[in-house]
Amino acid sequence: MDTLMQQVINGLSLGSVYALIAVGYSLVYSILLFSNFAHGGFLVIGGYICYFMLRNMGSSIWIAAFAALIGAGVSAVVVERLAYKPIRERTPVTLYMLIASMGMSIVIENIFVVTIGGRFRALPPVIPTQPVDFFGIATTSAFDLLSLVTAVVFLVALQLFLSKTKWGLAIRAAAYNLKTAGLMGVNVNRLISIVFFVAGLLAAVGGIFLSVRYTLYPQLGAMITTKAFVAAVIGGLGSLPGAVVGSLILGLAEMLAAGFISSQFRDLIVFGLLIITLIVRPTGLFGKSVGEKV
Amino acid sequence: MSEIKKPLLSVKNVSVNYGAINALKNANLDVYAGEIVAVIGANGAGKSTLMNAIMGSVPRAEGEITLDGTPLPAKSFQVVSAGISLSPEGRKVFAPLTVLENLEIGAFPLKKQSDVEEQMQKVFRLFPRLEERKAQYAGTLSGGEQQMLAIGRALMAKPRVLLLDEPSLGLAPIIINEIFKELTEVNHQLGMTILIVEQNAKKALMLSHRAYVIQTGAITMEGASKDLLNDPVIVEAYLGGKK
Repeated sequence: MDTLMQQVINGLSLGSVYALIAVGYSLVYSILLFSNFAHGGFLVIGGYICYFMLRNMGSSIWIAAFAALIGAGVSAVVVERLAYKPIRERTPVTLYMLIASMGMSIVIENIFVVTIGGRFRALPPVIPTQPVDFFGIATTSAFDLLSLVTAVVFLVALQLFLSKTKWGLAIRAAAYNLKTAGLMGVNVNRLISIVFFVAGLLAAVGGIFLSVRYTLYPQLGAMITTKAFVAAVIGGLGSLPGAVVGSLILGLAEMLAAGFISSQFRDLIVFGLLIITLIVRPTGLFGKSVGEKV
Repeated sequence: MSEIKKPLLSVKNVSVNYGAINALKNANLDVYAGEIVAVIGANGAGKSTLMNAIMGSVPRAEGEITLDGTPLPAKSFQVVSAGISLSPEGRKVFAPLTVLENLEIGAFPLKKQSDVEEQMQKVFRLFPRLEERKAQYAGTLSGGEQQMLAIGRALMAKPRVLLLDEPSLGLAPIIINEIFKELTEVNHQLGMTILIVEQNAKKALMLSHRAYVIQTGAITMEGASKDLLNDPVIVEAYLGGKK
């Protein structure tokens, strides 16, 4: 029972970090209708900014994290401007952007390999990891609770941004029909930049926690992108609640598999879930259903 | 209506090409303040292309479009800020957003919240049905209500010229009558200048003051709508019969 509770908390914690990645990924998908495989690159960029600010500049975690969030957000905007904007201005075929994103993913990964090397780096111990007693029902680590709380805070902030602000409304409209949103007086290029900035920023939050959990290395992004992709598909591509629920399911499945079967089965379970989703409910849990009358 | 007055919206010599196809050839069209102008023509004649060229959603190969003498900017969002809104073909309401949110997004270029509310009241006065359904998702409205929402949404930006692309598309005749009656109200109550493109030539000619006929990308006729309604060529080609 103790192990179960502990693994559930760990699973929710891991899942909520996946959710930060998957939500940004799904947000981009909902606007531009392509899978941005460079998305994991943003979390690696965030992770390295945080690492070097802590190691070499002696910054506090707050300043390092702030720089990581902004840096990853800006680099996401730059990637969009360099790699995707020229394509989407020329053709409505989104497949080309998908291919470009695979290219950008390789580019970002290898920029780190050639400049600072591919070795594994551990973030300085700035995030507490000591065990804590969780209301007497389970023992878990402070790190797991902290990542869960942080992820929830950022996801709630995103939800507030989307539901309460003018640009949030524009993003929701654009997720349904980008071109029509442009006809409403929305500057579509600025909207896309905002979406990429938000996606990059959220990825960096996840990146910092994941580099504490797994250590930091250039290929971390590619691994996590795959997880976020699976989570987004389970939840329904392009749906933000879907991305969150899908991520939680994934985190729980991974941790329960690790706790009760073997940690080697984790990825098998992940891809098993993907296959089952695609067979049983290809649109995912929250696939789009409201139609337009013509 | 047109003695010495300058047109509010003026399309001069505009051509649009899709690859090798000339979708619009040297189109000239003027709309004066306060009038309703219709553009009628068959399927694929270039009516929607004309609308898209004005809105900046297709690049024009040549020509100039001016609003009150000033050339219109190139991008759609700038055109809306300049004072032209479109109710697009097929309505294109944002189905997963509520009626209220659809109207709010229509007011995107407005800076002041008080302007948004003022505009919202005007739209609700014209379309009380939208106020009754403001909390409902746009995707659950009937076709006619969605068309009202598309028109209301376009009015939210406080435009100087309202463009309507096929407002009768896919609607039952009784609903079309209702929509066209409301368009007359939009013109009367708000003094709104309207440019409408329609396949339903009879309805469009009855609604409008002046009209243009477009055929395979070129404007072939123009005149007062009541004259065109009795023109034997028009009757034969667009009004389904001889008189």
